[in-house]
Amino acid sequence: MSTEPGRDRVPPWVRVLLVLILLYLFLAGVKALESGIREFGEDLTDSLFERVSNPLAGLFVGILATVLVQSSSVTTSTIVGLVGGGVLPIEVAVPMVMGANIGTTVTNTLASLGFLRRTDEFRRAFAGATMHDFFNICNVVVMLPFELLTRGLTKIAQRMADLLGGVLSFGHGESGGLVQTAVKAPVRLFESLLDRLGCGDSVTGALLLVFGLGLIFLALAYITRNMKLVMAGRIERSLNAVLAKGGGAAAIVIGMIVTAAVQSSSITTSVLVPMIAAGVLTLRNAYPVTLGANVGTTITALLASLAIENPAGLVIALVHLLFNLSGLLVWYVIPGLRGIPLALAERLAFVAEKRKSFVVVYVVGVFVIIPLVGVLVFQ
Amino acid sequence: MVWEFFKASGDQQLEEIEGLIVEMLLDCRHTFDLAVNAVVGGTEAAAVGKEIRKSDRGVNKAERRVRRQLVVHVSVRGERADLPRVLVTTSIIKDIERIGDYAKNVWDLADGGIDLSHADDIDRLVELRDRTSQLIGETARIIRERDAESAESLLKGLDDVLDEYDECIEAQIESTDTPRDAVPRALLCRYLKRITAHLMNVLTSLVMPFDRLDYYDEDKVDRD
Repeated sequence: MSTEPGRDRVPPWVRVLLVLILLYLFLAGVKALESGIREFGEDLTDSLFERVSNPLAGLFVGILATVLVQSSSVTTSTIVGLVGGGVLPIEVAVPMVMGANIGTTVTNTLASLGFLRRTDEFRRAFAGATMHDFFNICNVVVMLPFELLTRGLTKIAQRMADLLGGVLSFGHGESGGLVQTAVKAPVRLFESLLDRLGCGDSVTGALLLVFGLGLIFLALAYITRNMKLVMAGRIERSLNAVLAKGGGAAAIVIGMIVTAAVQSSSITTSVLVPMIAAGVLTLRNAYPVTLGANVGTTITALLASLAIENPAGLVIALVHLLFNLSGLLVWYVIPGLRGIPLALAERLAFVAEKRKSFVVVYVVGVFVIIPLVGVLVFQ
Repeated sequence: MVWEFFKASGDQQLEEIEGLIVEMLLDCRHTFDLAVNAVVGGTEAAAVGKEIRKSDRGVNKAERRVRRQLVVHVSVRGERADLPRVLVTTSIIKDIERIGDYAKNVWDLADGGIDLSHADDIDRLVELRDRTSQLIGETARIIRERDAESAESLLKGLDDVLDEYDECIEAQIESTDTPRDAVPRALLCRYLKRITAHLMNVLTSLVMPFDRLDYYDEDKVDRD
């Protein structure tokens, strides 16, 4: 105990201020994305829509995009921007959001590979990581056909958006609201700079897209990094409470809060993996935290929708929330179904423990090859 | 459970774990006081047996809790700078848990019918009891206050205490007393020596680098 730990030397209030600035940049990024798309006009909308009009193609694009950026927050915020810009119809965006949910699980699955050499720990870690995969896959298997047949999620989201439109007038009012006015400023500045340089509509649109995507990616990465530092003690304390008192509804809420705070479900689920590997956290107690993380991560898209003028942006963000909430209701509240993702994960971990090569087949197959083939087949 | 997230001062997890270590030490002192009084203080062994077992279970439970919290700490932070402190903590909680076990062994003597409260050397035995009990309490204080100076000064005198217990054991081996008189005294000295040695290990955590933990002075004979 003579060794002093390396503590974060930046005062928490400075980090919180930094996060607020980053949040502003994130929203400006979403706005830039929306404006960039509008610069392109209807041609881009039509050509992109033709490519991903099939819902399964949308699902696989969502998986691939999220695996590529390793963050469903980036993907869903981008989708919100695309929907807001009118380039992506909601019916195509819904399966993409569902795909993003599956794609984000690759991060903690990769984290579990760190235990590959220690058989027992690896089996537990791999099951802990892949229960998130199976939950999301099971949820898509149920909710995607439901949505395609009934448009149920979209209809509820539209109702909610109508109600929230008034409440969130700071974001979606007639005059654009406070948030939108604030985030428009840097985008307009960037646009006027491009104008002075004599860039045409297409070039301006492309540069705005790059600028927007870059801001979204960087701002989210640094928000997560800073919030993890600010919140580490609280995360630790609440996970200790999960260990002491077991899973349950409170664990779901902890998963939600922690993930909403750090803006990344991957952080929450990846933190659970070593605890499950060490055997201090059981799979059953980690499960509700993971489900809570799935719901908590939807806050990013909801925030992104504040920067979007088109109410469709809020609708798709709400679909993301409803999809994860309904997954929670189906795969956790119904006792008979609760065990299915866990049993599948345990079975897969058992196979992976016996044949380590299967792990590569699983990760590459589920997160790269199947989505890639899916996009090619269904586009 | 959810409230835990919103509690103030969320950045003191290792300090909280160290608070648990102090609690473990104080529980060990409680166990030791009860146990040794059943041997030298005239307390009936059966009367304190339940409380001793409960207290020892508490120490064991706290050890597991500290381990879990360390796993959470490492999982959440992943900071290399905390690693020596985490390793030191895992080492000293084992020492503290052993102190609880030896205290229980002292009670086993009383449970086996040994009562030295009317022995000729009772004053000496009471002196050993008080010294060990105070040593546990002082170690808890030093750990709580991270008082490295006191730890170092205390450690300097404790090697002589260990030597004293060795002499006590040798004296019993060579004594012509009946086994019923010699064996309990030899065992008691042995248990007190082990408790003292484990306390020294705990104290070294404040003054020694991790690799030299438990080896305060290599020139001294081993403390086993």
